[in-house]
Amino acid sequence: MTLHIALVQTEEEKISSEKAKKFIISEKNGAESIFIGRVRNENIGKKVTAITYDTHDQAAIKSFQAICNDAKKKFDKNASIFLEHAKGYTPVGEISIIIAVGSGHRDEAFKICRYILEEIKHQSPIWKKEHYVEGAEKWLTGHSLRPKKEIK
Amino acid sequence: MEIQLKLYGSSKMLSDNEILHVQLPNNSNIKTLRSVLGKIIYKKYLKNNLENLPDAAAFFSEADEVVNDNYKLKDKELISIIPPIGGG
Repeated sequence: MTLHIALVQTEEEKISSEKAKKFIISEKNGAESIFIGRVRNENIGKKVTAITYDTHDQAAIKSFQAICNDAKKKFDKNASIFLEHAKGYTPVGEISIIIAVGSGHRDEAFKICRYILEEIKHQSPIWKKEHYVEGAEKWLTGHSLRPKKEIK
Repeated sequence: MEIQLKLYGSSKMLSDNEILHVQLPNNSNIKTLRSVLGKIIYKKYLKNNLENLPDAAAFFSEADEVVNDNYKLKDKELISIIPPIGGG
């Protein structure tokens, strides 16, 4: 198996970088590239305590599969990919996303990692609600999936 | 007719429930749904900064595919509203 994708309910389970490393390790791979995204304690001058990730589970998983398969086709069909994204309430400091790639060479490993991250931001139905120190919360704006020709 | 609108992201401010029941004229399409949602937001939720939602959102059919403005809605159909996304 060379592909693992999942949404992780972070109130029940933590995303583990050790699990990701174990998944991609192989004697065939000369390069491993691992991207870890964490919840930051500040955004645009506001002190953040946590982010709640809302997801359209079925469509998000479908988009992860398509993005990872595209990445393999584009850069290295033999690459191993481990991708997990947080779902639910995720406090500051915890992992929100991990993308681990094992590939024959470093260039492909870096490119696949970057490609997957950028495509998730533009394709996967996932939303963030920030929680602030003073108790307020806010849904963040993002990228519209509405067909471009229809947007006024 | 009525559709069931499954709420995601910022659209969850429209209801405490996961699904919002929206009354529409018969033979409505997604364009009509956008217009009706705009009216609901204007009446009750303007202070929540949702005024751009009807225009910026995409809508998924039950097959989890984006449907365009001409997509004809069926009575009791389940449609997901997909506000602008931002994971990662």
